Amino acid sequence: MIESLKQQYNIEQKESRLFKLIIKKEEFLKTLSFISSSSNFITLSQIACADWIEDEIFKLNYILTTKERDKNLMIELEIPREESKLPTLLNFFPQAEVMERDLHEMYGIEFIGNPTLYDFALENWKEIPPMRREFDTLAYVNEHFDFRKGREDNRDVKVEIKRRRAEAKRLKNANK
Amino acid sequence: MQTNNELIKIFHGPQHPGITGNMSVELDLLGETIKGARTHVGYLHRGFEKLIERRTIIQAFTIVCRICVPEPDPNEENFARAVENLADIEISQRAKYIRVMVLEMARLGALFLWMGGQSGSIGLGTIGQWSVHDRDLILDLFEELTGGRVYHMYIYPGGVRRELPNGFLDRLSQLLDYLESRLPLYDNVFFDNSSFKKRAIGIGVVDANEALKNGYVGQVLRGCGIKRDVRKDNPYLVYDQLDFEIPTFEGGDVYARAMVRRGEIRESIKILRQVIKQMPEDGLIMQKIPKHRKFKLKKDDTFVATESARGEFAYYMAGDGTEKIRRMQVKGPSLIHGFTLLEKLLIDEELSNVAMIMNSLGICPPEMER
Repeated sequence: MIESLKQQYNIEQKESRLFKLIIKKEEFLKTLSFISSSSNFITLSQIACADWIEDEIFKLNYILTTKERDKNLMIELEIPREESKLPTLLNFFPQAEVMERDLHEMYGIEFIGNPTLYDFALENWKEIPPMRREFDTLAYVNEHFDFRKGREDNRDVKVEIKRRRAEAKRLKNANK
Repeated sequence: MQTNNELIKIFHGPQHPGITGNMSVELDLLGETIKGARTHVGYLHRGFEKLIERRTIIQAFTIVCRICVPEPDPNEENFARAVENLADIEISQRAKYIRVMVLEMARLGALFLWMGGQSGSIGLGTIGQWSVHDRDLILDLFEELTGGRVYHMYIYPGGVRRELPNGFLDRLSQLLDYLESRLPLYDNVFFDNSSFKKRAIGIGVVDANEALKNGYVGQVLRGCGIKRDVRKDNPYLVYDQLDFEIPTFEGGDVYARAMVRRGEIRESIKILRQVIKQMPEDGLIMQKIPKHRKFKLKKDDTFVATESARGEFAYYMAGDGTEKIRRMQVKGPSLIHGFTLLEKLLIDEELSNVAMIMNSLGICPPEMER
């Protein structure tokens, strides 16, 4: 089956059972609809998203699996970070509902047509979507939470290492 | 929810003995019958995926196992294999066998723990005491091998972190004999127990026609009579060199999923016996890998999957040419089972069956909210 898809699409073989197809955003629905209905890649296993902030894009990988569960096809496309919208795949795969809800919350991607893009793991989140690279976890934690009492002597590890090294050096020089 | 006061809304969890971890299911009840269900997670959100983006390989490795408490090792295996793919590392045959051994021991431990959870959900408390004791014997061996009982941090990119202690395989073999001798007892008190059968047969029925397309995995598929298992379908490590069966059962209900697990315990023991017999005596347990900051992943991505005790565990990983992981996205079996499937299965079920259905699906919240 992968051979017939190869005739139609430029599919790269990454490993013995892992294939990759890179498509443009405009071809998204047409390609997914065709592959899911006319090949044996019938299951959507994962929608993976990576933030390439330096290129101003998100790379999404729709990972499809065959009916026999013996091969995986990664369909990759890029969408702009600032205008991150895609049509939902709910009509083809019911499991896309929760995967899209997850990515909507974590990256702020709008999946047009998905009616359940409400809270996933976070509640009333008003900040930048947390999986975007510009979201600074440490700054957020320092701003919103207090350190537990009893840890006032908690020292910065790097500062402490530097101090100990300097102390060791000083002792070594003193012994000379 | 309707507004005519016919339905009562309750939250099943997160503080409930019948919930499988820190999550809750919002239920709309008509009397005792469920008319609507919605899964809520977020009580355990620890941000693994975000944390990993700031970490080097060895730093990320220490938190990967914590994604799944009952069975951390498939996460270690996925992480290691994804890193090996992106760093072009090939591991030795001996390391592969040791990894299979660890994964199957973890599977056995998880299945025994599941037995305790499932029996507890219907009030058969004694079985849990037995099975958790037997699982503890597996954890003893894990402690001897890795230093840790629950989180092992043993399977590392390049191989495994320690050589087997002297006589370890003999002790494992003795433990397998003991566990095998216990199985007829578990059949008597649990799998063939008429109280369990009466509760479990015909409950939480999954439609076999939709199972493959909807992305269900593990016992949910095999309980519908569909023979799918990553170890056979898309073999990794040395599973293609081992002789084992994929147990299936017809019916698609809670009982079918339990019977599949019953078969899997036996198959895991069979696999472990072969591993003990075929384990190569020579071979590096750990390949030469670059030092901490020099351990870089190429700018590429990969997708790996491992069969855990609850179904396929998959990782997407992308490298960007630096020592940090650009993206690691986890997809455990619970993501689909805990949302799409559970919300569907609970409709028109009785409130008293919620815990049993959840246990049969093997739902584990940390892998949903990562």
